Amino acid sequence: MAWQWFHQWGSPRWFYERAERWQFWAGWIALVLLVLGTVWGLAIAPVDYQQGHSYRIIYLHVPVAFLAQALYLGMAVAAVVLLVWRMKLADIAIQALAVVGCAFCVLALVSGAIWGKPTWGTYWVWDARLTSMLILAFLYLGIIGLRSAFIDPELAGKACAILALVGAINLPIIKYSVEWWNTLHQPASLKLTERPAMPASMWVPLLLNICAYYAAAVYLLFASMRTLVLRRERRAQWVQALVRAHD
Amino acid sequence: MDIERRIIAREWRLVMARPGDILKPMWFLLVVISLIPLALSPESSLLAEIGPALIWVATLLAILLNMESLFKDDFIDGVLEQWTFWPRPFAWCLAIKLLTHWLFQIVPLILITPVVGLMLAIEVHVIVVLLVTLLVATPALTCFSGLGGALTLGATRSSVLGVLVMLPLFVPVVILAAGVITRATDGAAVGPLMALLAAFSLAAGLFIPIAIAAAIRLNIGGST
Repeated sequence: MAWQWFHQWGSPRWFYERAERWQFWAGWIALVLLVLGTVWGLAIAPVDYQQGHSYRIIYLHVPVAFLAQALYLGMAVAAVVLLVWRMKLADIAIQALAVVGCAFCVLALVSGAIWGKPTWGTYWVWDARLTSMLILAFLYLGIIGLRSAFIDPELAGKACAILALVGAINLPIIKYSVEWWNTLHQPASLKLTERPAMPASMWVPLLLNICAYYAAAVYLLFASMRTLVLRRERRAQWVQALVRAHD
Repeated sequence: MDIERRIIAREWRLVMARPGDILKPMWFLLVVISLIPLALSPESSLLAEIGPALIWVATLLAILLNMESLFKDDFIDGVLEQWTFWPRPFAWCLAIKLLTHWLFQIVPLILITPVVGLMLAIEVHVIVVLLVTLLVATPALTCFSGLGGALTLGATRSSVLGVLVMLPLFVPVVILAAGVITRATDGAAVGPLMALLAAFSLAAGLFIPIAIAAAIRLNIGGST
């Protein structure tokens, strides 16, 4: 029973058809939460006593930084699935996750730089968290670049999976070594183990926005995965029937 | 030990067939380091301060120079494919090859760092520590550069790609080595950090050959 559920994921067609609905719901959830969290965060949440209004970029910066790291982890999981079970969909997931994750990572770096100017007086400092985020962006770029160097998509997928896995094992080491090297960044805004230091009127919209960005990432992921499925399976009959139906 | 000896002997013959290949990274290191005083300033106190970092980065790039050639020739003439049939794990054969490569090609490169160190007016005791950090850390770098070479074996446009892909993974090594050198300059104890650096090298030597073996097998199975 459980294995049957697992085997369904081996069929790109099954995924393409099912994911349409998931993508639809993820998109709506993202939109509603995003409007709610952003309006609350930008207009209703109280002003920070130290940073004034500039802290409000937190409602963008923290969710995208969260996701940039979470998506790399997701990519490593997909890499294991690809290398162990040789599932085509995992390869497509790696490809989509690399692009979406890289976008979130760049967004986190840019929003952090914009936040850094009023808070620290400079766009960029060589601080631990900034640096490890930059390295993360390089790792994402490496995976995107490696894929583009191959003609054979299957070979490209597996090479990327190996690289993603090595990167994922190395990432904690990079993080700790960079942290040891220099620490200036304010500690994490939200931790799972502790109660946040800010009032509920500040962190509830942040939590809403984190959920919103997760849903948005799922939406983007499914959208690009479905496109990639169509492109990979362009010679399959069901795709050609789909195309003919649209014409 | 017969198989191990055969791999080492073969590497030795290959090195001896083209001794110029050993000189190329050294040449690179010398030229890069010579450019620094020209670009920066001949002020020896300034050079001594940033010297170790420059030598480290230049050595890193020099090691990455022959990343592509590390497995390419052996892959094309079929030697790597033969190794998969040998009565030893493929990853083990590759680890031996990497170790030999390190011994024959990287160690000579490291041995000229005292010369470039003196050119940059670095103090002698710092040069010694620098030399030790390089010796301890380069096995890890060799492994990572081997992985870069193996991953781009089947790539069609790979000239600098492997380097770009691998460089971010070098971060811990560079940070730890720089930490050791800073402490040596300040006169503090370097033992614990050096141990961490050695641990990283050992872990890389243990696990990266497995990843390299997987990356090479992809190409053996697929493209033929």
